[in-house]
Amino acid sequence: MKLLKKIGLLLWAAVPAGLSAQQFNIAGHPVQFHAFGSQGFAYSDDNNYLTMPTSKGTFAFTEGGLTLGSQITDKLRVGAQGYVRNIGQMGNGQLTLDWASADYSFRDWFGIRVGKVKTTLGLYNDSQDAEFLHPWALLPQSTYPLDLRGETIAHIGADIYGDMQLKKVGHLAYTFSAGSVPGDLHGGYVHGLDKNNRHIYSITGTMIGADLRWTTPVKGLLAGASLNWQTGDAHGVDAGDNTPYDRDVLKNDTVAFYTQYTLGNLRLDGEYRRNLRVTETTSVDSGILGTSTRDLDSRQGYVSAAYRINKWIQLGAYHSRYYVDWKTIHSLPTNHIFDQVVTARLDLNRYCDFKIEGHFIDGYAASSADRGFYSVDNPNGRQPNTRVLILRLGFHL
Amino acid sequence: MKFSLGYVRLCTAILFSIGIGAYAGAADVKIIVNDGAGISAISYDDLKSIFLLTKKSFSDGTHAEPVLTRGGVAHAAFLKRYLGKTEDGLTSYYRNAVFTGKGLTPKTLASDAEVAAYVAKTKGAIGYVGSDAKTPGAKTIDTK
Repeated sequence: MKLLKKIGLLLWAAVPAGLSAQQFNIAGHPVQFHAFGSQGFAYSDDNNYLTMPTSKGTFAFTEGGLTLGSQITDKLRVGAQGYVRNIGQMGNGQLTLDWASADYSFRDWFGIRVGKVKTTLGLYNDSQDAEFLHPWALLPQSTYPLDLRGETIAHIGADIYGDMQLKKVGHLAYTFSAGSVPGDLHGGYVHGLDKNNRHIYSITGTMIGADLRWTTPVKGLLAGASLNWQTGDAHGVDAGDNTPYDRDVLKNDTVAFYTQYTLGNLRLDGEYRRNLRVTETTSVDSGILGTSTRDLDSRQGYVSAAYRINKWIQLGAYHSRYYVDWKTIHSLPTNHIFDQVVTARLDLNRYCDFKIEGHFIDGYAASSADRGFYSVDNPNGRQPNTRVLILRLGFHL
Repeated sequence: MKFSLGYVRLCTAILFSIGIGAYAGAADVKIIVNDGAGISAISYDDLKSIFLLTKKSFSDGTHAEPVLTRGGVAHAAFLKRYLGKTEDGLTSYYRNAVFTGKGLTPKTLASDAEVAAYVAKTKGAIGYVGSDAKTPGAKTIDTK
């Protein structure tokens, strides 16, 4: 039944691939459609990873999307994307509206997007689902955690954006964002909280963000910085004794710096982020309703290199680091996840790619900041080192 | 030994011919716009920005619509000289815009003749064709 579900998901995304054109007309307006989908296999030597039963080998690694867009007037564009995923315990195959926005460009240096808008944060936050855009089967999980995508992927609100030519010193693109953050009840955050009979039934949040992206006069060199200030509330219940469980994120501030250098077929990326997070948890402990506060100073980042050998093969490697709390001893496996990755991407044709990727992971991060290696998925305890093999077949048009 | 020298000379001649051909191809592209656009020249920066979707109008305020050719010598020369991107890099760039909601893929046509015809009839259209291509109704502009 699960397999049929997966095939259904892929067919749902693949149907447009059989059509000869990627455009049709509605009321005289051309509408572009695009689609993507992927099926992965993950196998790890010990710990279960990213909510999947990877220690046994798993195909529970499917996602897809369908995008529609149309230029209504010279200045107005509209579009939307449906997205579905079934990755371990995440997504459960539910179709979601990934983004849906209207974009009005007054000038090259001033435009507005409203609706559900993909959030610009770092190099790849807004394109992290589209695996075919990247050399990697998994983006660096320190910075783009697959299980926590719902925390930053989009906001319901508005962006003000623009691009300014700075003559001899390149271009500067800016984006300012504000809105509410739709909660992901099928993501890793809830999966991490949803344990010991606890059930989370709502998540809400707000965000304000900014991104400055400088295309420097040095050919192929880009540099930028992003800010993202968020708050959020998760409400739940302890089903055992029907008492409330609330976790309020009072502060979730991220500052990011990034750079990218492209020279011919070589691409080098680097990102660094600092995240300050203060959470207040209200729950019943030993029959008494109480509140506890915790603050974390997380650091994360990666460096990567990818080289396209020819039109069929691209090779790459990255080193990714995540520190749960910079104030705590860094070497503890409960306080970090370091991931060394090598990958090979094969482009089978214009529409299909296949990736083989090896992860050599040190550490698993603390249970109070679950990501990647969840205690609920590893009931017998977590080992300090994990090796993961990932195969991923993707298509897009 | 004679065979080897002849073989080397033949290979050198072939490689030289290919090199000359490639160089000639790189020089063999011209930029055309719809007659309605009030410009006679465009800067390298503006041309690149229009095709990378960050600039949406010409210097006279006319809305700009970039048109691409699907492969060919002019296409390869245009990518290399004006956009500084590989075919793969440009495709990824447009797909990134599409799937993040920040743009649409520009119209892509099969031949120089189709590009010329589309530019001639579409207000604000800008494209590139081989320097020998006939472009009735479209205006060839300089790059500066």
